[in-house]
Amino acid sequence: VNQVETDTIIKQKNSSIFMENNLKSRHAVEKIGYSFLWLAGFITVALLVWIVGYVMVQGLKVVNLEFLTTRPAGGVSGEGGISTTIVTTLYLVLLTIGIAAPLGIGAAIYLVEYAGEMERESKIIAFLIKLARMGVETLSGVPSIIFGLFGFALFVSAMKLKFSLLSAGLSGAALVLPVIIRTSEEALLTVPMSYREGSLGLGATKWQTTWNVVIPAALPGIVTGIVLSVGRIIAETAIFWVTLGGSYRLPTSLLSSGRTMALHVYSLASETRAFDKAMGTAAILIITIVLLNLIINFISRKFNERTTGKQ
Amino acid sequence: MKDKTNNAIMPEVKSRPLFATLLAIFLGVSSLALICGAIYTQFRPIGILPKTDTTILIAALISGSILAVIANGIWNLKDWAQTSITALFMLVLIYIAVTIFLDVSAKIFSGEHVVPLSEIVGILGKGLVDLLLKGSIPALILYGLSKISYSFVQNAQQRNVVDRSIRYVLIITALTSVFIVLLIIFFTFENSLLAINEIGVGNMLIGTIWRPGVAGANGAVGQFGMLPLIAGSVLATFGAVLFGVPLSIGTAILLTEVAPKSFVNVIRPSIQLLAGIPSVVYGLFGMVVLAPIIRNVEIPYNSGFGILNASIILAVMILPTITEIAEDAIRAVPRDFKEASLALGSTHWQTIVHVILPSARSGLIAAVILGIGRALGETMAVIMVIGNSIAIPKPLTDNPLTIFLSTARTLTGNIAVEINYATDVHRSALFFTGLLLFLMIFLVNQLARYLMRERK
Repeated sequence: VNQVETDTIIKQKNSSIFMENNLKSRHAVEKIGYSFLWLAGFITVALLVWIVGYVMVQGLKVVNLEFLTTRPAGGVSGEGGISTTIVTTLYLVLLTIGIAAPLGIGAAIYLVEYAGEMERESKIIAFLIKLARMGVETLSGVPSIIFGLFGFALFVSAMKLKFSLLSAGLSGAALVLPVIIRTSEEALLTVPMSYREGSLGLGATKWQTTWNVVIPAALPGIVTGIVLSVGRIIAETAIFWVTLGGSYRLPTSLLSSGRTMALHVYSLASETRAFDKAMGTAAILIITIVLLNLIINFISRKFNERTTGKQ
Repeated sequence: MKDKTNNAIMPEVKSRPLFATLLAIFLGVSSLALICGAIYTQFRPIGILPKTDTTILIAALISGSILAVIANGIWNLKDWAQTSITALFMLVLIYIAVTIFLDVSAKIFSGEHVVPLSEIVGILGKGLVDLLLKGSIPALILYGLSKISYSFVQNAQQRNVVDRSIRYVLIITALTSVFIVLLIIFFTFENSLLAINEIGVGNMLIGTIWRPGVAGANGAVGQFGMLPLIAGSVLATFGAVLFGVPLSIGTAILLTEVAPKSFVNVIRPSIQLLAGIPSVVYGLFGMVVLAPIIRNVEIPYNSGFGILNASIILAVMILPTITEIAEDAIRAVPRDFKEASLALGSTHWQTIVHVILPSARSGLIAAVILGIGRALGETMAVIMVIGNSIAIPKPLTDNPLTIFLSTARTLTGNIAVEINYATDVHRSALFFTGLLLFLMIFLVNQLARYLMRERK
């Protein structure tokens, strides 16, 4: 019995020593682990500060009124400003959103509000809805150069629209369509069921309910999706590189070629090596993106306040 | 038709507001003017109005009769008339606003000379006045309509027709994305048929030399081996994963489990911003800042441009994607798991490593896979920093790691660099590259989706 007792005591002692060691090593491991996590977070922020800071500091040196309101000199000189590229970007954003927003919002409304009950009604429609969902999923993963190739093959070559705002706008719309559909779907899903039931209960039709009750309630979320797409269009280069041409002149019609700010950065950097002007354009791009992000944050905060009822 | 007879027999109980009467008369008169004017000028051009041709006549007749129908609807206080007239004037208002906006922006940025600030203010002011003048009439009509909207009635039959027909419109919009996917597949496939027939899929996939050469004049076909491009893509993506994944998964854990809220509120918007920065800005940064730094490594033929540079840039670009999805995956781990583990006496760190990460595993893998998909598909930033040589990348010295300092070209970059001047077989081979990329990324994304679904 004694033997057994001592054994257990030794065991306990051992285990406590072991525990102590274990604790120490645990603490060491945890410290290393936590510091790795903090390091990762720190590097992420540092990268952002470095990239944005460098581009802003270098870029804002060349930004002035002349830079903003004169057009690029063209050729390989890299001289001149960026005025026409700002306008082209603006045109392209309006065109793309004009094409993609109605389609995307319509699709989201169908998928959220109608799909459920329609699926039960007929097998063909259920199949089509499944197909539509798959289409959105697939489209959202397609890399932009593929949209570019597609636009190049269909709009530029087959439909003979040449390198033009219209070709670029149509290809760009294909890029942002899934973005708009996704965000609008999410926005519609946050509208409480009771809103719809209340409206339907009062005798409104499905469409009246959707139009007068659901869409107004989901509007901030839908707008967020549209602002997000604006950002995508402004940042996009690959698609427009193969569909927009690259003329630095002001587009005069839907069928004229043009150059967006992002394309201009690329052209300046890789064709003319005018890095200072490229930095200036990049700085304007970053300012635009920051503004868009602020708008999105503002809208979604308001939206959250409204849906959660907090003031 | 039926509505009309109904109204004739049974006049509306509601009295018509003055505004509706005026609007109906205005619309009626303008429709009459449109129809009569078109017919009259068809036979006898007057003063400023030239002789109309047939298409304009038909258009005028059709729009005139539509206006007449709407005028009748407004007179009888029909809801559909109100809706269509509201939509019409909305469109007019939007058209006016957009044209003035574009006009103003074109004037300010037309770019032949510097526009002084005072002139910009002047142009803006003029545009504003223009907008007020031109937009006032449709705006007033819209305002008036909204004020008297209570007096318009909608009958049940009309409501049902709208309700039913809207479904068909919506299902068409829902099917647009499928349509686009099919068009993409069709066009890339159709355009790559020539290359598939002339060169063969096998030759393209395992050929080691990409040399488009002079296309076709005397039957000389260039060489279209894609192995150098595939190697470039794979190496750059591998490098990006190597740098990007620890960073982004670490950040994701930090944000979800460790960091205090104030810190999260700083990092999350920065990651959002990183995601929004245009790829060319990253490319530019790589050219101007990273290339000189990498060039400092003293190795022959090290230009600073190459796979390492591209990997770093790509790592930064895929960071937001991976972080965001990994965060979602970690947050989706049930609270009970975490609480149970903590209650059993394990530390927070042990809980993270042994409970949270294993249960979020498939989501984390999905995040990495989606990151790989993004890195494979990225184009412009990579072109700017990878050097774009079409040889198979190989180590610059005996040290195999120097392969990352070698220049290369990716599948995506090859398309963007060559598509604008490629013809015939060359062009077709580029489309085949596109098809290959599409399939690769489709598979990668499906895999990620499968993993994410498994989690749920």
